[in-house]
Formats: sequence, C-alpha cells, structure tokens
Amino acid sequence: MSILEVRGVEKIYSTRIGGSKVRALRNVCFAVEPGEYVAIMGESGSGKTTLLNIIAALDKPTNGTVTLDGMDIGGIKESEIAAFRRDNLGFVFQEFNLLDTFTIEDNIYLPLVLAKKSYAVMRDRLMPIADRLGISGILKKYPYEVSGGQKQRAAVARAMITEPRLILADEPTGALDSRASDELLRLFADVNEAGQTVLMVTHSVKAASVSRRVLFIKDGEVFHQLYRGDDTSEQFYQKISDTLTLLATGGQIK
Amino acid sequence: MKTFFYPRLAASGMIKNKRMYLPFILTCTGMVMMFYIIIYLAVSSVLDNLIGAESLRQMFALGSWVIAVFAAIFLFYTNSFLIKRRKKEFGLYNILGMGKRNIARILFWETVITAVVSVIAGLAAGIAFSKFAELGMVNIMHGEVSYDLSVSFVAVLRSVEVFGVIFLLLLCNSIRQVRFSSAVSLLRSENAGEKPPKGNWLFGICGALLLLGAYYISATIENPLAALMVFFVAVLMVIVGTYLFMISGSVIFCRLLQKDKGYYYKPNHFVSVSSMVYRMKRNGAGLASICILATMVLVMMASTTCLYFGEEDAVLTRYPRDINLEFQFDDLSDFLDEHTEILKNGVYEELKAKNVLLRNDYRYRVATFYGVVDGNTVDVDPTGISDTDFMNSAYVFRFIPLADYNELMGADETLADGEALLYSHRTNYNADAVSFKNGETFRIKKKLDTLTGGSETAMDMISTITLVVPELESSLRRLDGIANFNGDSLLQKKWICSFDTGMDPEEQIALYQDLTETLRRDPSSSVKLGYKSVYISSQEFEKNDFYGLFGALFYLGIILSLAFTVAAVLIIYYKQISEGYEDQARFLIMQKVGMTKPEIRASINSQLLTVFFLPLLLAVLHVTFAFPIIRKILLMFNLNNARLFASTTLLTVAVFALFYTAVYRLTSNAYYKIVSGLGGER
Repeated sequence: MSILEVRGVEKIYSTRIGGSKVRALRNVCFAVEPGEYVAIMGESGSGKTTLLNIIAALDKPTNGTVTLDGMDIGGIKESEIAAFRRDNLGFVFQEFNLLDTFTIEDNIYLPLVLAKKSYAVMRDRLMPIADRLGISGILKKYPYEVSGGQKQRAAVARAMITEPRLILADEPTGALDSRASDELLRLFADVNEAGQTVLMVTHSVKAASVSRRVLFIKDGEVFHQLYRGDDTSEQFYQKISDTLTLLATGGQIK
Repeated sequence: MKTFFYPRLAASGMIKNKRMYLPFILTCTGMVMMFYIIIYLAVSSVLDNLIGAESLRQMFALGSWVIAVFAAIFLFYTNSFLIKRRKKEFGLYNILGMGKRNIARILFWETVITAVVSVIAGLAAGIAFSKFAELGMVNIMHGEVSYDLSVSFVAVLRSVEVFGVIFLLLLCNSIRQVRFSSAVSLLRSENAGEKPPKGNWLFGICGALLLLGAYYISATIENPLAALMVFFVAVLMVIVGTYLFMISGSVIFCRLLQKDKGYYYKPNHFVSVSSMVYRMKRNGAGLASICILATMVLVMMASTTCLYFGEEDAVLTRYPRDINLEFQFDDLSDFLDEHTEILKNGVYEELKAKNVLLRNDYRYRVATFYGVVDGNTVDVDPTGISDTDFMNSAYVFRFIPLADYNELMGADETLADGEALLYSHRTNYNADAVSFKNGETFRIKKKLDTLTGGSETAMDMISTITLVVPELESSLRRLDGIANFNGDSLLQKKWICSFDTGMDPEEQIALYQDLTETLRRDPSSSVKLGYKSVYISSQEFEKNDFYGLFGALFYLGIILSLAFTVAAVLIIYYKQISEGYEDQARFLIMQKVGMTKPEIRASINSQLLTVFFLPLLLAVLHVTFAFPIIRKILLMFNLNNARLFASTTLLTVAVFALFYTAVYRLTSNAYYKIVSGLGGER
C-alpha cells in the first residue's frame, strides 16, 4: 500500500485585491510507496511549495484528497492536526528553522518534548541518530555557533527523531554551499537506504539526481516523471537536466 | 514640495509603526499632563486659603521635579524600544542611498511631531483636568471650593520648557544611535545572533545579600528616629539589590531549572524556560524597574492612605480631649497641692465665665526628663553620650504623684516611701527597681496596664516609662538639681488639664483662640495663677492642620503613584510587543515542528505569568519587609495604628494586583496576536 497518496488535488487562491482566482495546482495525482525517495521539481511559481504545504497539512486543498498511510489528512480535526504532523511527518526546511534559544540537542528534542516523551527515551533515540549524522560533538552548542551544514544536519536529526512515516524536505540544500549540499544529499540517500521514506521539493538538479524518482511540476500539474532505475546519479542527472530543458523550451516529451 | 518630503516620510513611518508610537505619544501626553497639573497646583491661588500653604507649595514643587526627572529617564527607556524597531527601516533607507544626515532629518521631524502632538495634547488634558485635580485636592484637605476655570501660564511655560529639553535630549540620543552604526548593522540589529547568557554568581549573591540586609534592617529596627535615618539606606540597598538579583539571579535560576531534566523537558516548561533565559538577560533591568516602581507605588499609597485615614486617630492620640492645657512651672515647690488647687480653681472659673461645660475632664501633675537606661540604673546626665547612642537608648521618665494618679484613674492605691507604680510605653521594663544616678531608687510595687491622659506619652516617639510616686517634691528634689548648660533644670514640671466641650468645631476653635488670648498672651493670668507658661492645643484646630499636611501627602501620593503605575504598565507593554515581534519567527517554527495552538498559548501564558508576576511578587515581598520600618516612621506622625496600616497595605496591594492583572490580560492578548498573526494557517 502506498504511504502517501495525492489524488486530484487542486488549489485555487483568490487574490486579495480584485478577487481574481489564481490556480496554483490543478488535478495533481501521485503516490509514494514505503521506502521511496521522491523529488518534486519545478521552477519557482510552479506550485511545488503549495503542494508540499498541502501534504504537510499546513494548507488545505480546494479539491482532492491527500491520504497518509490510509488516513485522509483533510479529515483530521483542526485540534489534532499539529499532533498528527508531529507524530507522522518530519520536516527539513531551507532555512533550517532551528530555534536560537535552544542548544542543538534541545532543538532536536523539541518534537519529542511536545509529544511528552521522557528525557531517557529522548536521549536513547538521539544518540544513534547523532552518530549517524555526525553531530555528536556539537550537541551542546547553540545554532549561532555552528556552520550551515551542521545546522541542516541538526534539522534532519530533528525530523528523524520522531521516527516519522515520511520526511518532507523543502529545498534542503537551498541555503548551503556545494560541499555541505553534497554531504547532506549523501545523508538523505543513506537515511533512505535505511528504509526512511523521503519526499523532497527542490529545483536543484543535483539534489534531485540523488533521489529514486523525480516528479516534474509545471503550471500546477504533474507534467512528467522519471525513475532512476539502475542509473548512476550522474546518468540520472543528465536525464533530469534534459527533461528540464525540454520543459523550459516547451517541447513535448514522447 | 521638497520641503515637505521629510516631515511626510517621518509621519508615514510613525503611522506604519503606530502600535509602537501610539503608546509612546500617549505616555508623553500623560507625563506632560501630570507635570502641568502639579505645577498648576503649586502656583494655584486656592492654596492660599489652606493652612500650611507654603509647605504645600514646596511639596508640589518637589513633586514636579520628581515627575520631570522620572519622565526624562522613562521616556529615554521607551524611546530606546522605538529606535530599536526603526533601525531596520533606517538601514534600508541608508542602503537605498539616503545619508545619515537625511536620516537625522527624518528623526528630527519625528521628534518634532511627537513633541508637538504630545505637548499640545498633554497641556489640553492638563488644563481640562487641573480643575478636577484642584477640586480633589481642596476636598481632600477640607478647604474652600471655587469653581472658576483658570489656565496657569507659568505652568504652561514650565511644561513646554521642561519637555522641550527632554525631547531635545531624546533626539540627540536617537541620532547618536543611528550615526554610530553601519547600514548593514542597522539592517540586522533586530535579530543579531546572541550569545546565550551566563548568570553571574557574584552579582546574584550580592543582590540577594543586599536584599536580605535591607530586610534585616527593617525587621529589627526599634527606634523610630533611627528608622527614619536608615530608611533611605535600606531603600537604596533594595533598589541596587533588586537590579542585581533580577539581572543575574534570575538567569542562574533558569539555568538551574534547565539542569533538572525531569522538570525542563516538559512541553510547558521547555519553551518558556529556555526563552526566559534570554528574556531575563535583556529584560532583567526592565523587570527590576517594574518591581521597584510597583514597590514605590505600594509603599507610597499604603502609607499616605494610612496617614490620611489615620489622622483622625492620630489627632485623638495626640490630643485626647477637645482642649488640652499644659501649664509649666519653674520650681518644684509650685507642685504643692495647695498651689495646684489655686491654679485649678482659677482655670475652672475662667472656663465657667466663658460658658464652657466641661466633660470628661481630667488633670494631673507630671514631671519629666530624659535618661539613658543601663540595666536598672538610669543615667540622668546625658552629657558625654553621643547623639545616636542617646537616640537609641534614651527614655522619657515621667513622675506622677500618687494622689493625682488615684484621682485620675479613680484608683485607691497606696505606696510606702521608695515605692512606685510603673507604666511603660513602647518598651518593656522588667527589672523590679529603677535606680537613678544622683537620685532616688524606687522599688516597683506594681506594673500598670493602662494610664489615662497619655497625651504626652503618645506624642513621644521615644520609649516612655511613667512612675507613680508617693509624693513629687521629696522624690525629685535631688534630680531637680541637675541642670543643663543654661543652668535650667532638666526636669520639666507640668500641670495638665484636658477636657471635652461638646461644642461645634467652629466654637471649639474660637474657644481655643480665646483661651490662648487670656491664658497665654495676657501676662496677668500667669502671675495670678502662678505658672510660668502654658501650651494650649485644640483637637479641631490640629485636625485642620493634619488634614492640610496629610491631605497634601495623600494627594501627591496618588499623583506619583499614577505616574509610576503608568510607567510600569508601559514598560511591560513595550517589552511584550517588542518581544512579540522577535518571537514571531520562533513560534512559526514551533508550529511547523508540531506545536499546537493551545500548546503555544499555554507556553506564552506560563512565560508571561512569570515575567509579569515575578516583579509583583518581589514587590509584595519588599513591601512586606518594609512594613515594620514604615510603621516605625509613621509613629513619628503619631500614627500608631498597625491594623489600619496593615489594611491599607493589603488594600493597596489588592487594587494594584487587580489592575496589574487587567494589564496582563490586555498585553498577553496583544502579544498572542502578534505571535500567532503570521503563524501559519492552522
């Protein structure tokens, strides 16, 4: 069974002045299987962040349904949505979104503290993750004391510590230099190898080429998708890049 | 066209930040208004009709300076919040090519707009309310009421001058802040990464020690005069102690909480404790200010209310009957029974001639002097003892002859030679004898619980021991020989006569003036009746005097309390608003990570509760410990009503807490709106 199913999702915004409608998404359909690593690509304004927000239950679709693990996200009660998000989804943001009042360690604990877990449980969960992500040495530091790459790894640890069904990553490499980006992408690949389902939104070909499958969004629709299959990431990179060129020049894909 | 560019830019900037500027302008307006009113009252002609007009004028003039200095400090403080918020905007202007000089011009126009608006509004409000203030004051002081509205140009001019200077200083400060920072740092100033604060143990401990020291002083002080002297020391200790304690003590406290994993890693503690550490470092001073302002308001209101409402009481203790006469004599020999009989008859005849019906009258002879007690020996000669020692250990000794005591109390006591009855006031005398150096020794036959006509006793702040002796002349002959530097005897010899009249207040005052004329001014009566001088007091007359003095104090107390309360409220408001903006992003992140709205609300509440009620709690603690020392000081105003003081204190605390809670609700809502305003759709 698919872990995530997006069916016929449509999102229409009314502009504040004049009330004219803008269609951000139209009839988006796709599914993510357990253990998959899916990248969603598209240019700015193509609607990919809107899609991610809808999947994350941060926004509601105008039409259509999103089901996570067989549960309709739209049917969850307003009051339970935050807890649902906390228990089932892990987030990695472009801007890290670490709290500067917490140490790295406390930042990672935040979702678990909100879930009322005891300190011992939290610590047991953190140690292996911190080792894997290579941040054991900076746990006691504050965000302003560490590099961007380290911050993003801390954010990944925060996303993983709840053992979520799905990790949602929004342009995770957007604020990183190329070396830190490479490291982070390798990390995502590792995490995925270990069985974690990942859905990433990006417009970086490099980031997308590490995934197993790429969905292309243009003008609010899923326009095309590519499976990596047995390609190396270099070969996959080439394919993605060709597809993007076609999309940009308006050519048809056979 | 170009000339209006800067004013317009300034105005639009202020309108865009109206959530910050409106309270600021209101504050300025309030300050101008209060300043105007105080000056207006100080120069008001209604004061002329009141007793003690000159001291009232001085008191109000002093009050106006307090307000001016306070306004300056406080406006600087709030202005710094504004500048902090605007720096980003100015940084942007700077990057877009506007020079520092141009920014200074914007600042100039902003200040001009603020100043003009608030001074005009403040003066208008001041003029409108000054009549109410005047009526209120006259009413409180029981004076004559007039209803014509007037504008005091002196007050207007003084307000414009003082606030003109304050605004000029504010402008200089703003320009200085913008001038010495680069465009990029201006842009970033609002959210520059900050080091996590470390509590300074030394400061924290010093603060705690200072507070404890001040508390100790207040709790242990015995003597009212000494209390007045150390009061200001204690106040200073509390102020410094509070600042140190709030700034570093609170950070240390939060750090300790963080160490306790079981406590810290709970949803409602986790966020609030960690962000509080930051709050405390930046806002320790703000919290301390709130605490001190609250303490000042509480102490001021509690004691002035107590004085005002206790004055009836105070007058009664000080002047137990409508009219009180104290005749003084030179010689101990004038204390003979025959002699006082002549005096009594003379006085009563005089009163009868004036158609006074005596009620509740009493009389007695008394001889008093000061002595220093050491064990059960009394040193009568105070030369060679330092002033402070004298103040701390001096007692007033009063001697009343047994015959007078029996008549006064309707008692039937008998005393052998060398025996005495003892009544102690504001002290406990436990030895079974009193021995005077250069004098007699009295064995205490009995200790008395009550003594009528303690008018003298009550007025004294010093501990008093009254001895009822078999007979005055022989008991005191040796003590009478001790003279002061002028060769006069240190022993004061008085015949006291007090009575009620059953007359109207006006008649009582007339009688008082009449008696002053005949007994005091007319030398023939003193020769005829054989006394040296007489001190006459009238309850009604003194009451007016008390109303004047305590009414003015009460009134000043109310006005200053208002000013301080407004200040405390605004400090809180600005703190919360500016923190709200800083916290927006933080709570947005928490929502994304899975914090629910109720959880956010709960975390905000727990934070705000601490930030709000910590200062109030500390203030109440301060007031509690200030209670003993202030009570001692109130004794000097003849106010010895602990229950009244306790209830005014409790009432003031209750009213203040209620008001404070209302402000807390308003502020927390404003804060919550800011924090959740951009906080995602759900």
